[in-house]
Amino acid sequence: MTEVCGEKTVLLEVRDLHVSYGAIKALTGVSLKVCEGEIVCVIGSNGAGKSTLMNAIMAMVRREKGEVILSGKPLEAKSFRVVQQGVSLSPEGRKVFAPLSVLENLRMGAFSRGADKGVEEDLEWVFSLFPRLKERIDQYAGTLSGGEQQMLAIGRALMARPRVLLLDEPSLGLAPIIIKDIFRELRRINNEGVTILLVEQNARQALLLSHRGYVLQTGQIVQEGPSADLLANADIKAAYLGGGHGAGKTTKALS
Amino acid sequence: MGTLLQQIINGLSLGSVYALIAVGYSLVYSILLFSNFAHGGFLVIGGYICYGILKTFGTNIWLAGGLSLAGAGIAAVLTERLAYRPIRERTNVTLYLLIASMGMSIVIENIFVIVAGGRFRALPPVIPTAPINFFGFATTSAFDLLSLVSAVVFLGALQLFLLKTRWGLAIRAAAYDLRTAGLMGVNVNRLISIVFFVAGALAAVGGIFLSVRYTLYPQLGAITIKAFVAAVIGGLGSLPGAVVGSLILGLAEMLTAGFISSQMRDLVVFSMLVITLLVKPTGLFGKSVSEKV
Repeated sequence: MTEVCGEKTVLLEVRDLHVSYGAIKALTGVSLKVCEGEIVCVIGSNGAGKSTLMNAIMAMVRREKGEVILSGKPLEAKSFRVVQQGVSLSPEGRKVFAPLSVLENLRMGAFSRGADKGVEEDLEWVFSLFPRLKERIDQYAGTLSGGEQQMLAIGRALMARPRVLLLDEPSLGLAPIIIKDIFRELRRINNEGVTILLVEQNARQALLLSHRGYVLQTGQIVQEGPSADLLANADIKAAYLGGGHGAGKTTKALS
Repeated sequence: MGTLLQQIINGLSLGSVYALIAVGYSLVYSILLFSNFAHGGFLVIGGYICYGILKTFGTNIWLAGGLSLAGAGIAAVLTERLAYRPIRERTNVTLYLLIASMGMSIVIENIFVIVAGGRFRALPPVIPTAPINFFGFATTSAFDLLSLVSAVVFLGALQLFLLKTRWGLAIRAAAYDLRTAGLMGVNVNRLISIVFFVAGALAAVGGIFLSVRYTLYPQLGAITIKAFVAAVIGGLGSLPGAVVGSLILGLAEMLTAGFISSQMRDLVVFSMLVITLLVKPTGLFGKSVSEKV
């Protein structure tokens, strides 16, 4: 547990995070680590608290207890500061700015960098990752297909030049073939040095992509380990990977 | 023919002043999704600052105008900080903001009743009102042309700001989705302050021209109701809609006054509101975006 990163440094650490919505407790003491250069996934079913975890890291919801630390420094409680500190999120449901053009969406992603000259280079970088976006550079984001919108949401988050890229359900609502494309690009993004933390309901794809994984269930981490081990784990197969009889039913599978 | 042309110019001039007010109001609506009824107060603040400076420091309209814009902008920012931000930070229910804005509107109006008194005041004659003849076709006043030109200049400047600057882009993004704009590293509170400053400053320009047209008094802000109507006709939250709606409204008012009776003006204005709400509730440029899942 203490040595998950081994030789590598811990880049992002979530420590004993608690979040509630009124009387409903969404996260009750979540802890996890993301090492420099890794892809880490958090899998879990609907309502397990995956999006809440992402929003709590980004300070979009109040962190009731616990903290999030980026290479030794706690992330602040204001979203715009978190982005400036080096964490950006491609949110669930993509949330592209429909009435703005593709280019304007990407420029919004770089908002926190001001007049940084690197922005133009990074635009080219994002276009090299997703050539489709370059073809549609002046189109309104609202007219893109679902897959293209997802690429735009990821590209927009990359434009902040994050040290850790957070992805909330990048496969949501997309056709399997497009999911494959997007996950291939995520690997490429990681190979270019971006550390990634993603939460996914599509456990198989997420575990195939990532180095390590955590299983989130009703607001708590119930299992963790190298993704290959989790993929082979019988309980997880039954609960999240469509194996056995309990596909999709996760309530008791891991308790 | 002459009368028609003249009334069209007058209508555009009046409409352009409505547009200055409606655009600021619509801008605030597009970000925070509530009708800011204190918007009329910003206009009155601008009018009184301009009046006060002209009376005390002489007749430099550029100085008085500049300070009036800045003052009304700052007053708008303070209104947001004092009355709206505490509510925003506690709840997402925009109805509370609406009610708070009604309260602020009454507060601002009464501050001026106490401080400046309730009587009607005329601005010193700094804005020319001499008649201007159009090649013998029609006669209009320099004031009407000046208010039309000023409105075009200020609305053009706003458009440039929104299209060409980083914060302008952020405002357009926030008008679509404020929360996600926050995820991009935009300091949302600062963005809202900027929006209120712009709205207040534009209202002050409208306030100065309205003070010249109708004289200045604490209830002058009530004319904002016309700007609300214009914004609804154009489509709430849409800036081009606010401009087009305002011009339509100004033209309708002046043509009614010129060819039917000036007492019918308001009847026509509010009939247009009712018809819009019945026929196309989203207004001319209203948006109904369908979300892709």
